[in-house]
Amino acid sequence: MTATVTAPTIPAAPSPLDGRGPRAKKASRLIPNGFVWILPGLIISVGLIYYSIVYSGYLSFFDWGGGRQRMTPVGVDNYVEAFTNPVFWTAVTNTVVYFVAVFVVQVGGGMLFAAAMHSRIFFANVYKVIIVIPVVVAPATLAPAHLQVWQNDGTLNQILHTVGLGALAQTWLGQSTTSLLVVTLVGCWGSVGFGFILYFAGMAQIDPEMLEAARIDGAGNLRLLFSIVLPNLRPITISLAILNFITALKLFDNVWLITQGGPAHSSEFLGTMIYAETAGSSRNLGYAAALSIILLVIAVTVSIIIQSRSRERAAKEVADV
Amino acid sequence: MFETRSLRARLILQLVVTVAVLPFLVPIYAMVSRSFAGAGWGNYAAVLSVPGFARFFLNSAIVAGGSIVIIYIATMMAAFGFSKLRVQRKEIFFWMMMAALTLPEVVLIAPLYSTAVSLGLLGTFWSVILPIAALQIPFTVLITRGYVDGIPDTLFEAARLDGASSWRIFWSILVPLARPMAVALIVLVLINAWNSYLLPKVFLTGEDMGVVTLLPEFFRRQYNDDTPKILAAAVVTAIPTIVAYIALQKQFERGMAAGAIK
Repeated sequence: MTATVTAPTIPAAPSPLDGRGPRAKKASRLIPNGFVWILPGLIISVGLIYYSIVYSGYLSFFDWGGGRQRMTPVGVDNYVEAFTNPVFWTAVTNTVVYFVAVFVVQVGGGMLFAAAMHSRIFFANVYKVIIVIPVVVAPATLAPAHLQVWQNDGTLNQILHTVGLGALAQTWLGQSTTSLLVVTLVGCWGSVGFGFILYFAGMAQIDPEMLEAARIDGAGNLRLLFSIVLPNLRPITISLAILNFITALKLFDNVWLITQGGPAHSSEFLGTMIYAETAGSSRNLGYAAALSIILLVIAVTVSIIIQSRSRERAAKEVADV
Repeated sequence: MFETRSLRARLILQLVVTVAVLPFLVPIYAMVSRSFAGAGWGNYAAVLSVPGFARFFLNSAIVAGGSIVIIYIATMMAAFGFSKLRVQRKEIFFWMMMAALTLPEVVLIAPLYSTAVSLGLLGTFWSVILPIAALQIPFTVLITRGYVDGIPDTLFEAARLDGASSWRIFWSILVPLARPMAVALIVLVLINAWNSYLLPKVFLTGEDMGVVTLLPEFFRRQYNDDTPKILAAAVVTAIPTIVAYIALQKQFERGMAAGAIK
């Protein structure tokens, strides 16, 4: 797989000049109206999503068990409840910890594997398949495997006993000090392959002449990595930061199937809280909706901050040159 | 990319990568080895003969197929409209769509759950297919519009001057030319729909409506925590995806790489 991402795959930003050239103006009367063509997509995505968000906002001011039960207007109580609930803050802290840890491991591991597989090693294709399997197979399908690894009589404790580190064996899933660690490591396991795919494609796009020139100028491997390869990969790293943050915010599958957010809410995430309030036995759809709105606000704010920061930095670099 | 001139450097690199791969093998090894505990292949025979097992795969295929068809049609049409046709306030509509690009599906479940209940859609495939489509379309439209922007306008103008209708132009020019992009997107949508867990778990409440991601829970109920059989079921469930990935590596990777630019 050379140049996984061919040039047209990455769309150019829609030019503001689209259809405004003199020629386009003359032809524009010939071009038929396209509103009906964009309508299906608009109705399905914009319609359904905006409807859901508005409805969420509305629901968040009620207490409601769903179905035929009475909706009790409660004002902003659901939001107050969220912000004063220690479990909510545990979930927020867990989200940050998970995001930072998985992001660091994904970037480091992804780059290591990508660089190594661009450097002619043996079994490269086998290694690639092994690290990408956790990305393509559903987390829900692989969850039983992780349970098997982390159980009391599971694979990890067996390995620890075999290599003489039996003292380190723990009830990994049963104690609130290690449950978040397990969920985070499982997250790392499932995301390094994704970082690898992106960095591998990104490295293939770096102009070989630039590398050649640097090498002639006497740059070693490390110098090459830090002065040419890494700066060229920065857009990928920023995308990974945003994607990882969103993933951490909505994390559900692995947590629910491995620790169910426990023990004692120690591995709770916003996703598991919203699910429990939507489909659990003591559901309150209003509270779930309030949590959803909070999550949405965090997601949008952070994406905007990361994106505008990266633009500022890019602008500064252009100015420095 | 990086030169390893000396034999020693090559060996060190090989060793580092091999050691780094090992942790990735642990869960796979744990899953496969424990799935043979006790009855050996008998665990697999037991899993495969559970009535309704195939139904899970069929249901996943329905969800994935339905999502792909809806997303493909809506995306191609929208890309054509946004890129090559005249739409008033085009960029406002486009921006509205793009605002939903990184929306996590979990914020939709509370409102959609109560809506699905009141519309009687709970427990139908629509209640899963439509949200999946809604969440994927902004991204597939972004990618496809960028791709279609790269097809020269003159091609469309020429067809129009020859008297082709928009419909004809869509089918005879746009759809064939966008095929390479579409294949990667279809593969991406296929993985996302096939692997979706939260939406089916909330909305597909019917007894015979389980999808493959719900299989571990199904077998946990079925076997009362008979771990080897649960793991055998997980292996059987994972195999089609792994085979598909190995067979279509390039498309998978292109789809995922495209997925990252949102």
